[in-house]
Amino acid sequence: MDKFSEMQVGALCEMGNIGAGNAATALSQLLGFKIDITVPHVRVVPIDSMEAWGDRGEIKIALYLKVEGEVSGKALFLMSTKSGEFIVKTLMGGKEGLDLFHDEMACSAIKEIGNILVSSFLVALTNFSGVQMQSSVPALSIDMLGAMLQGIFLDSEDVGEDILVLDTEFSGISAIEGIFMFIPNGDSLKKLLGAFGL
Amino acid sequence: MNTLIVGMADYKICKVPDSLMTIGLGSCLGVCVYDQMSKVAGMAHIMLPSSRDILENNPLKYADTCLQAMLEDIKKSGGVPSRLKAKMAGGAQMFSFGGGTSTMHIGENNTQAVTKELKKYGIPIIAQDVGGNAGRTITFDIETADLHIKTVKAGGKVI
Repeated sequence: MDKFSEMQVGALCEMGNIGAGNAATALSQLLGFKIDITVPHVRVVPIDSMEAWGDRGEIKIALYLKVEGEVSGKALFLMSTKSGEFIVKTLMGGKEGLDLFHDEMACSAIKEIGNILVSSFLVALTNFSGVQMQSSVPALSIDMLGAMLQGIFLDSEDVGEDILVLDTEFSGISAIEGIFMFIPNGDSLKKLLGAFGL
Repeated sequence: MNTLIVGMADYKICKVPDSLMTIGLGSCLGVCVYDQMSKVAGMAHIMLPSSRDILENNPLKYADTCLQAMLEDIKKSGGVPSRLKAKMAGGAQMFSFGGGTSTMHIGENNTQAVTKELKKYGIPIIAQDVGGNAGRTITFDIETADLHIKTVKAGGKVI
């Protein structure tokens, strides 16, 4: 953490909040009620500490997008299966006995939400920093947390040393919770901060 | 009777009646090497194919260096090299992108690297459950030499 100053972390948090605001507006429009998303804190954590992240066997939903442009890397939105079920039910009407694992429609609904969340984050960051970023189509997995994180973190030759973790808080609905991660390639995080002269 | 948990980029050795377990294998590979007569087994959780060209401080991340260290330890614990056998699981590709976006096949590369290393040491692979797109939690019981594999979607199986 000492590689980044308090001011730099503050700037990342500010960026996170702008992105979250944008994402909340998009999500509110889609789900049909007011949602706020804030980023109360950001953490810059070494990629090697991934072992310590929660219960490796816990089942989570992961949306994974590749980010390309001047700043590149991977964006990841992690949420609970409960949050996913809530989103599907809200978007597609009350479904009894929803089975996320085998319901393709449900999975594409979640993918779409992930797409909107992540791309509105990125649009906000691009507007704010002037650094170009675009995201790929999302890939979705509902599986053991540890297995999914491995799949993402090791999926590149040019993995940076640190991961930017943005804890998100959803208000307006308590049924969604999740965290957003940006896993920069090489020195992309420094480049992003460089855009602010930090 | 204890279950020893093997973390990422690590290996552990056990004797009866203990068993070995690793949780949430994605693209990583869980490799069990055992001597059923002296009832000693090792399980490695391998992250990447090769330590060559990479200056990294943790040799246990890589197929070649991790297996080398584990085999050494199995011998010290009474395992006889000529009796060693292997079972392995993991090496999945957790995410796939539609269209042309290419992802690296780390899981596949890990599997190939471990297969090659085991061959080098003359250790036969008795059974394996590799590839696919699901995470696995595996438990190895040295008493029976059974490798129990659990996935979220398909439930459990034994190889």
